[in-house]
Amino acid sequence: MATVVDSIAPSRSVRRRVRITATMTGIVGGLLAVIAGALFDVRPPDAYGLCMACHARDLVDWTINAAAGTQLTVAPASLVFPVLTPIGVLLGALMAARTSGEFRWQQPEHPLKTFLYGILVMNCALLAGGCSIRLLLRTSAGEPAGMIGFGALAAGVIVATQWLRWRTTR
Amino acid sequence: MAAIATLVAGVVLGYLGQRSRMCFVGGIRDFMLVRDRYLLRGLIAFGVTAWLAFPLMTAIGAPGVGPFGASDVVTVILTACGGFGVGYISTLANGCPFRQHVLAAQGVISSAAYLAGFLAGAVIFHAWAAPLLLRLLPAWG
Repeated sequence: MATVVDSIAPSRSVRRRVRITATMTGIVGGLLAVIAGALFDVRPPDAYGLCMACHARDLVDWTINAAAGTQLTVAPASLVFPVLTPIGVLLGALMAARTSGEFRWQQPEHPLKTFLYGILVMNCALLAGGCSIRLLLRTSAGEPAGMIGFGALAAGVIVATQWLRWRTTR
Repeated sequence: MAAIATLVAGVVLGYLGQRSRMCFVGGIRDFMLVRDRYLLRGLIAFGVTAWLAFPLMTAIGAPGVGPFGASDVVTVILTACGGFGVGYISTLANGCPFRQHVLAAQGVISSAAYLAGFLAGAVIFHAWAAPLLLRLLPAWG
């Protein structure tokens, strides 16, 4: 009903709603990542304020260590209690999807294929010392290894995009 | 403190990320495929904001980052290989890890399976992959 009304005459609530762009998200993300590291002890290592791979690793390894008494690697920032970024992102995105009516169960690809992608991306990210976000954060912090990692990441995206394009036009 | 800060930052970014469809590999991909700059602008905005915010934090007395010494050759090679792998596979998987978290939260089962693999991958790396690498590369670390 709401969408029908909106399509006839955009209501005040629709007009008042600010469109959130990727640029805004980037600015807020950059700020929060630096502030978390500088003011809220999400360190060491340096430039650790935001990373989906390292923070997920800390959360999983810390939980398994606590439950099973293992000695899996955890960053110094997460020794006492792990960082909770992945849980936060899931909660925030769930809230946004629910309030905007965009939550919908769907399965565009075979779960086994994406499960394998997940394993591979996590292993590559831990090898590089960060996911795409932290490699960019390390680049912004001026770390030479981070710059090399981000350059390699960009190269990987470019090669994969060319491969996808070649495969579809063949 | 770090746990609460990252939880709050995560909720904010998860919300913004869902509304804006932000993706950290999608920017380069979209620009290459259709010359679309929407996501690329987000990527650049993140980098520039962080680049400006690091010295700003040092200026107000918070602990800064660095100085960064030169890394040894093996670390550089592993970082480059890992970075390339993250970029390549993330593009095939249709989104960076951040985007996959957001998609999983809006009901995409493929992305939820990706996250399961992502978390399993952390254990696989530290339990098997890293020790194997250390044995093959005794000079590293």
